[in-house]
Amino acid sequence: MFHTEEESIVTMINQIAQNNVSAGSESEVADMVENHIVKFWSRRMKKILAEQLASGTAEFEPAALVVAQRLSAKASA
Amino acid sequence: MLQHFDPNKDYGTPASLSEKMVTLEIDGVEVTVPEGTSVMRAAAMYDINIPKLCASDNLEAYGSCRICAVQIEGRRGTPASCTTPVDAGMKVSTQNDKLAKLRRNIMELYISDHPLDCLTCPANGDCELQDTAGEVGLREVRYGFEGNNHLDAEKDQSNPYFTFDASKCIVCSRCVRACSEVQGTFALTIDGRGFDSKVAAGQDEQFLDSECVSCGACVQACPTATLMENSVIDMGTPEHSITTTCAYCGVGCSFNAEMKGDQLVRMVPAKDGDANHGHSCVKGRFAFGYATHKDRIKAPMIRDSIDQPWKEVSWEEAIGFAAKRLKDIQAQYGRESIGGITSSRCTNEETYLVQKLIRAAFGNNNTDTCARVCHSPTGYGLKQTLGESAGTQTFDSVMFSDCILVIGANPTDAHPVFGSLMRRRLREGASLIVTDPREIDLLNTPHLGDATHLPLRPGTNVAMVNALAHVVVTEGYEDKEFIAARCEGDAYAKWREFIIDERHAPENVEAITGVSAEKVREAARKFATAKNASIYYGLGVTEHSQGSTTVMGIANLALATGNMGREGVGVNPLRGQNNVQGSCDMGSFPHELPGYQHVSDAVARARFEKVWGVELDDEPGLRIPNMFDAALSGEFRAMYVQGEDIAQSDPNTQHVEAALAALDCLIVQDIFLNETAKFAHVLLPGSTFLEKNGTFTNAERRINRVRKVMAPIAGKEDWEVTVDLANALGYPMNYSHPSEIMDEIAQLTPSFANVSYAKLDEHGSLQWPCNDEFPMGSPIMHTESFPIGDEGKAQFAVTEFVPTTERANSRFPLLLTTGRILSQYNVGAQTRRTENQAWHDEDILELHPHDAEERGIKTGDWLGITSRAGQTVLRAKVSERMQPGVVYTTFHHPGSGANVITTNNSDWATNCPEYKVTAVQVEKVSQPSEWQKNFQDNHERQNEFLRGSASTHSAVK
Repeated sequence: MFHTEEESIVTMINQIAQNNVSAGSESEVADMVENHIVKFWSRRMKKILAEQLASGTAEFEPAALVVAQRLSAKASA
Repeated sequence: MLQHFDPNKDYGTPASLSEKMVTLEIDGVEVTVPEGTSVMRAAAMYDINIPKLCASDNLEAYGSCRICAVQIEGRRGTPASCTTPVDAGMKVSTQNDKLAKLRRNIMELYISDHPLDCLTCPANGDCELQDTAGEVGLREVRYGFEGNNHLDAEKDQSNPYFTFDASKCIVCSRCVRACSEVQGTFALTIDGRGFDSKVAAGQDEQFLDSECVSCGACVQACPTATLMENSVIDMGTPEHSITTTCAYCGVGCSFNAEMKGDQLVRMVPAKDGDANHGHSCVKGRFAFGYATHKDRIKAPMIRDSIDQPWKEVSWEEAIGFAAKRLKDIQAQYGRESIGGITSSRCTNEETYLVQKLIRAAFGNNNTDTCARVCHSPTGYGLKQTLGESAGTQTFDSVMFSDCILVIGANPTDAHPVFGSLMRRRLREGASLIVTDPREIDLLNTPHLGDATHLPLRPGTNVAMVNALAHVVVTEGYEDKEFIAARCEGDAYAKWREFIIDERHAPENVEAITGVSAEKVREAARKFATAKNASIYYGLGVTEHSQGSTTVMGIANLALATGNMGREGVGVNPLRGQNNVQGSCDMGSFPHELPGYQHVSDAVARARFEKVWGVELDDEPGLRIPNMFDAALSGEFRAMYVQGEDIAQSDPNTQHVEAALAALDCLIVQDIFLNETAKFAHVLLPGSTFLEKNGTFTNAERRINRVRKVMAPIAGKEDWEVTVDLANALGYPMNYSHPSEIMDEIAQLTPSFANVSYAKLDEHGSLQWPCNDEFPMGSPIMHTESFPIGDEGKAQFAVTEFVPTTERANSRFPLLLTTGRILSQYNVGAQTRRTENQAWHDEDILELHPHDAEERGIKTGDWLGITSRAGQTVLRAKVSERMQPGVVYTTFHHPGSGANVITTNNSDWATNCPEYKVTAVQVEKVSQPSEWQKNFQDNHERQNEFLRGSASTHSAVK
């Protein structure tokens, strides 16, 4: 129930994916989640998301994982 | 708009809305008025003023006093002009010897049972009885004063704001009718018959003990000194008045602040107020004493650490201290290590300046507002579906509604003046559907006709709204013509496929919501088949982990039934604080500039950069909960908070307190030492709405002027303090009046393009968008198209129901939901410092008799309420308004610690906290919680620090 800041970020992206699960295919859901994060999340939140992805310990929803990977790839490109 | 005291004209009876005109003759003058107008009103419209006592143009004609008798050619007798409608060709005499004698005789009877103490009466100079006696030429009372009379009738002084002096009552029934027709409470009645007739509150109770809600409508209606404000009794009648806007709640009532010099005598609701039409509630009408309360912060203060006493300093020193700390912190920890919070209680201009300060002078987008914790899902959900983050209607639009759906809102407590208007429409026959875990007072509206209560479990709004929409679509109630013309096709097709799925059928949702399928189907049919159906919702929708989804579901429901773009329909968020709409409009959120222009929009950003003279960050900044997290991690070190009390209002208090305590510099600008200020290093005195100029924007997008009626207690209006701080930081701000700030807002915000103080003064108020396309503003939005997409078509949104993770279990078997009460406002900082305490001096926990019995709890017992976040202790009230398994409290008193037990769960899209669902256990206890003990200790220590500063200052003087 109570998370560290890092856990909160993972919870939040998973929540976004879950609440948009009926938006279409996994790719379409991922598009929606990515658009949301780009539009509303701060630099710091995005940075923590990338760190959580890199840590390999966080449990992501399938669409959330796609988004975390996409954003990390774009950031390092 | 300074005007010497001149009460608005009273035309005696309400206006007729007929478009057919009728011509008649009154005292030889040809008059043409709408059919259905009374003779009294027709005469008054041509400045022929017939004496009256029981008539008032905000009440239906009653015809009891007979003072307004007239003669009509060809008709027998002397009919009352208030109850006689005009007729074509009618010839009316309002003055002749016979009428004069009749009126004098009537007045003589009244005065024979009225104290002749005019010179010492509080209504002296403002008394309709006195005026009318003068008008009719009463010179003697032949009956004497020795007969039976009421001159010794006792006063009822139970109400803290007004006195009922029965000895002065003429039993005109204006107060009784105002309570019924205007307020809709029906608390007053005429008890007894004939000579024994008297006004009674309830069943002969005292006013304070009765159902009276102290809205002041009876006081306003009284033509004598029978019902009189205590402030007028104490201070005498006012000598000038200034029109301004109330600073409580999102209704935004206009008031005439009636003054004696710089002293506020009373607040009288303005008849020409576009949001309130002369009505008020107990807060706006009476609860203004906090403005001059002894607790007001009267001088700037600073300290190095929160464990030190405050040091009272000059404005210059305090601003310099704050600016140096902010600069030092940024130099050491980086540009993004500081931020600020704008206020939904302050004006548009002040909010605009704070976010400008943060974006331009701090150089980041770390700005947020308390709308984060109330209506941020409204901003998100309505923008996604309708293209604009605001309600679609005027308040008056409800009078054209045939079916009113209220979801998660409690208008009679939280938006009382609009609640009264809604009740008026319900009495006229509109049907009502309430979706709420509690039986709210609206369901107990006197003379309510067709009403349905869907008492759903907390946290299941999305399932309920989807079930309603499922019935609309599968039973063929869609407005296909509207959908084809006004809604985007692909989004609609996708949504339709989603919503017809059987999992949304009421029969399948019943297990989730706890509401019978048949009841849901009936409600959906009622909503869908009404000619005009409207939706009103509040924080019971937004403050959930799926708040944004419900908002979109509400928009879907309105779109699917074609209830959009005309009178009587629409989607109407009832905003909590006075300027929540405005604070959102003014760019308080970290991702968008004023006018909801995204920070990544290079074109919009360039316009701001040109006017503000700096380069702006194109990435969203931190939201309030992000600021707390970042503070705890050491990356966020300083915060400027104007007019908000995040330590009391935000969820999971212990987390918030730890974050605030971790800051190197907290600058709080407020009128009191609020809970947040106890963690501050700089305390800057705020100014109340009475002490400044500006504008508020209410829940119907109405921009209303706030006008200064007295000087700021510490010498500066809030906007001036922000200007000083910006200048001290090296970012120049040069405004000499808030009107100049509004001019800048209009220049940069397309929806405000045609707004100016001159235009506001001319028209009273304006509803945005107000620009070249809508030069006079937009009372109703989306009449032709939606500001979304290339084609201007509304977007249906797929609204999956994802249950909250905050669930009841054997350890926490009850669900707590929090809310508000009529007499207190938000965190209570203002209303707790008024006589409103008479109604609610502590927060209590309401629980169902079944849950109480299981635990051996009686009303008045002390209860420990424990959640996964913390524990607090409140007194119990056993109440059948609750459903079994659900408990309820308010958060108006800081020591209650209601938010000690609310969790960090939040809306998936906006992080709006899930205040409405917390799993708890409740048990009888004998002492306060640990948090409450610590709170009390800190409260006493911090107040001692404050008192120390005051005594030091006086000693220095």
